[in-house]
Amino acid sequence: MSAAVRLEDVRVVIGGRLLLDVPRLTIEPGERVAIVGPNGAGKSTLLRLIGALIETHQGRVEVLGRRLGPGGDMADRRALRRDTGLLLQGLHLVPRLTARENVLIGGLARLRGAQAVRSWCRWYPQDLAAEADDALAALGLADRGGTRADRLSGGERQKVALARLQLQCPRLLLADEPTSALDPSATRTVCHALCAVAAAPGRTLLTVVHDLELLALLATRVVGMAEGRVRWDRPPGELTPGLLQALYERHAAGKTPASPSEPAPAIRLASA
Amino acid sequence: MSGLARRHPAGPVRGGLPTGRAGFAALVAAYAVLVGLCLTTLVAAGDLGFGRNPWDNLLKTVADFARPSALDVWFGPERLEYRSDDGTVLRVENRREVEAHFLAAVARATWVTFQVATLGSLLAALMALPLAMLVARNLRAPRALAWTAKGVLDVSRAVHTLVFGLVLVGIVGLGPTAGVLAIALHSMGSYGKLFAESIESLDMAAVDAVRATGAGEVQVFFHGVWPSVLPQFVSHHLYVWEFNIRDSTILGLIGAGGLGLLISEAVSLFQWSRLATLLIVVVTLVMAFDALSRRIREALL
Repeated sequence: MSAAVRLEDVRVVIGGRLLLDVPRLTIEPGERVAIVGPNGAGKSTLLRLIGALIETHQGRVEVLGRRLGPGGDMADRRALRRDTGLLLQGLHLVPRLTARENVLIGGLARLRGAQAVRSWCRWYPQDLAAEADDALAALGLADRGGTRADRLSGGERQKVALARLQLQCPRLLLADEPTSALDPSATRTVCHALCAVAAAPGRTLLTVVHDLELLALLATRVVGMAEGRVRWDRPPGELTPGLLQALYERHAAGKTPASPSEPAPAIRLASA
Repeated sequence: MSGLARRHPAGPVRGGLPTGRAGFAALVAAYAVLVGLCLTTLVAAGDLGFGRNPWDNLLKTVADFARPSALDVWFGPERLEYRSDDGTVLRVENRREVEAHFLAAVARATWVTFQVATLGSLLAALMALPLAMLVARNLRAPRALAWTAKGVLDVSRAVHTLVFGLVLVGIVGLGPTAGVLAIALHSMGSYGKLFAESIESLDMAAVDAVRATGAGEVQVFFHGVWPSVLPQFVSHHLYVWEFNIRDSTILGLIGAGGLGLLISEAVSLFQWSRLATLLIVVVTLVMAFDALSRRIREALL
């Protein structure tokens, strides 16, 4: 079986700045990998690269056995999109659809023939609708299904995006700080749901987290990044506070302090 | 990109036009010169004046307008005799009956005006929709098609409804058909611009999120694009429709049916009290539709 993610000699330069420099990184199917590191370490860039939202001009990126890049068959590309689940900050819910309809979007790619045509008028098969209701209920949003997405709170939106992911059943899950806007109890709910989505055999989970307490829950392997490079790569059990501190302090002592409110890199570069 | 990189110090030139604070001052100065030029040339030509006795005229007009003809239906004389200078009766008129007939004609004309505006607006919206999709930059239509569509919309917006109406009356003859087509051709430009702008203001991150689930292109359109754009389309439609109701009251002036014909008659015969009735109808119609469409637009948000 091929690797879930394989990067070789990848360098990403945007606006004259080296954002990512990864000579080699392989993630096997079934692994749960957490990426930690200070702001500007290239964590989000790495995730967006694997999610095919940005392109590299140098090196080779392979996801679920397919090489990313321009060209290729449209249906092939769509199949890969279906297999890659994204939970990124820049990817929104559709504001004017209800929470339930947003969840059902996750199941669109599964529909075939007449069912796919009926989905154009938001007419979904019953089993899919039931699945969406179950996914919402599991996240404590049973009574919010009919609420429009733009009237939900930030935490509720994150949960709806997660429920959408649940219907998509992706083989590779990419989550960028999935709990950053949540209170402690919602954080636990979302983490457990994330693990549940990734629980099936062969599912791979790749998360960026700042909350180090969640590492034990979300990861079987932790990758430390700084300045666009992988500094270390080890299981959470071998992690020491000193190791993490060094990762964040190296950045703080760096000669080019990053601006405090550094905006996330533009997400729409090669998505269309 | 940081905000610093985008901020311009006063005075640099971009695209041939000055920007920044100095640029704005220059703009204001240029505008002042233009207004001064208009004013001085008009005064120099002796064309700027209020006529011989503006006050008397104003008072007379106000007095006529203050007694709309519709009041005669209830309060007018039932037997009005027109006599020649030597006292022979020329004609006897029941003012109440005459004005009641006129009021019925006004009601019919109002309905025609409404029909013209409604059908013209709908036709315009249908024609503008495909053009707007070509023009909207984020949908990335082929360059040549986009420019052609933009040209068509610009021309249609630049030519006034009345001008279209004059031409069309010559082609399809007098009547509401010319009015409907004139409204449609002119409003198409407004619709196209408004529709294209709402497509461009779409939350593309949400569209990308739908596409990222592996949905097909048509599914992406119906789940990501359509729900966000539809309420704006309806809101724009109501807005232009309302504008066209105002516009179509004038179309009768050129023989394209509706209230305008009665207005032009009243003006030609100096029947200011009838003109007052007509203006009351126009204002009421426009205000009523305005209130209604505002309610609907608020509900759609």
